[in-house]
Amino acid sequence: MKTPARPSCLLESRGISHWFGQKRVLHDVNVRIRRGEFLSLVGPSGCGKSTYFRTIVGTHLPRAGENRLFHDPARPEGEIVAGPGRDRGIVYQHYSLFPFFTAQENVAIGLTLDGTSMGHRFLRPFDFRRCEREHMERAADMLRRVRLGDALRLYPHEMSGGMKQRVALAQSMIMQPALILLDEPFGALDESTREELQRMLIELHSENQSAIRRGELPSLTLIIVTHELNEALYVGDRVVGLSQYWDWKSEGHERCPGATIVYDKPAPVFEVRDSRDFEQFKNQRDEIRDVVFEPKTPSRRGVHVVSENGS
Amino acid sequence: MIRRPISGQYATVLSLIAIALLIAGYTWLSHRQHQRNPDDTTIPSWKQLAGGVRQAVEVNKRSGERWLVEDLKASGFRLACGLFSGIAAAVALGMFMGCYTPAEAFFHPPLALLAQSPPTAALAVFFVLAGTGDPMFVSMIGFGILPALAMSVFLAVKEFPEELQFKAYTLGASHLEVIWSVLFQHVLPKLLDAIRLCIGPAMVYLIAAEMVVGDVGFGYRIRLQSKLLNMSVVYPYLALLAGFGFFADWGLRWLRRTWCPWFEGHRG
Repeated sequence: MKTPARPSCLLESRGISHWFGQKRVLHDVNVRIRRGEFLSLVGPSGCGKSTYFRTIVGTHLPRAGENRLFHDPARPEGEIVAGPGRDRGIVYQHYSLFPFFTAQENVAIGLTLDGTSMGHRFLRPFDFRRCEREHMERAADMLRRVRLGDALRLYPHEMSGGMKQRVALAQSMIMQPALILLDEPFGALDESTREELQRMLIELHSENQSAIRRGELPSLTLIIVTHELNEALYVGDRVVGLSQYWDWKSEGHERCPGATIVYDKPAPVFEVRDSRDFEQFKNQRDEIRDVVFEPKTPSRRGVHVVSENGS
Repeated sequence: MIRRPISGQYATVLSLIAIALLIAGYTWLSHRQHQRNPDDTTIPSWKQLAGGVRQAVEVNKRSGERWLVEDLKASGFRLACGLFSGIAAAVALGMFMGCYTPAEAFFHPPLALLAQSPPTAALAVFFVLAGTGDPMFVSMIGFGILPALAMSVFLAVKEFPEELQFKAYTLGASHLEVIWSVLFQHVLPKLLDAIRLCIGPAMVYLIAAEMVVGDVGFGYRIRLQSKLLNMSVVYPYLALLAGFGFFADWGLRWLRRTWCPWFEGHRG
């Protein structure tokens, strides 16, 4: 058996700051995410979680600082995120699927877009058809993996919310991106569907852990943005809290310069067979609520951060 | 109850009754008119109408042509060319405006202005710019439907959720692929609906222009026969126009159902 590998850093956010006119949103956000990590990003409403999420996706670039991806071994210095790219998959709460494609087509479209060019499609139609068939078969396999083998031909409007999110996850996973970003993915789902999908993520996390134990690189790194603390602690193996309620006066600011990281600690790791008992992490949940969500007790940066330099 | 759905069978029966009432109403009107004036041609009897149809399809002694055939050829060609050029230009312009903000800023104001100006009122401008031949009819239809159609395409592109656009990029799409494989798929059913709405105005522009300057075509024949109070020819022509509009609409709805089966359900 190989020695478990210590996963390297996959994404580094260095001094991310962002503002819209006079409104300061993010201030000096520094986070390093290791390969294989399932990081939960939590924070109060309006703290800039989505803005930070967008800087990682690359749709909104930060005014200051940079996000650097280290997914290409040939470029050890990393690659600055300058726009959306196929190395990052995203799953949104709404608009997670293309309404004009079936489940299978939704999953296969990434392979088709990535593997063939417009010229290929129009100039070599027979070869393109062959590629497309292959992509559809791979998409069907992926959908079976997320237990949607019976829903291949369903359009999004014919699927439940949970099915849609599972297809969206399959759509991202089939591209084997360096990082998958989930923005409140289960926010609009009922409790039982939410639990089912959370268990699916835990299953994927277990697969990652098995790969690390075998000395292999974990296949999936994930950031989940959620306002639900129980979900953050249950699904993630690390919780990062972004908050505007921090002691910025102690750093000499006259007004709040924006939200920053005030909490960064490992979360308990669950297995699929473990019971989903949220009381197990009550203390940590209370701590996060106090540090991240409570305006009356602003904490200093770094006090509740233990894993930032752990890569 | 308000908006309660009815069975297909019930709907068909109601439609047939409506058509039967229309035919019965016309028969009664024509009969009453002929009681007053047996030589009346303004509301022709069914027999007179059959005579009018014969006149349209038989070889005309003076011109040596079949009216209906030459009118169908002329108007059909003008309408097809006008619709094709208008739709092609509107799709290109609407997509361009929807995808590139500078293009939106540049084209939106003149397009919004042109959309408010009725092309039939600008007939003289088309005479001056394109003469009185086929190019005039084609450009009138093309420019007539362009503003509304381009705006429909533009609005359909604008309403596409940007999250899905970002998603397409993360799935490896290039800009061109986002436009063709994603945005155009979203726009297509709305484009087909917008074309359905444009068929009527396009026919209005064509008939109006043919009435004024045409020497062949549906508008020309209707104007000429109306002047002679020869309504037994005019009514079949009108029925043909209505039939064309009906089948064009049905055909476009069929295309939408076939090409975009997701659309009805998605729209809810």
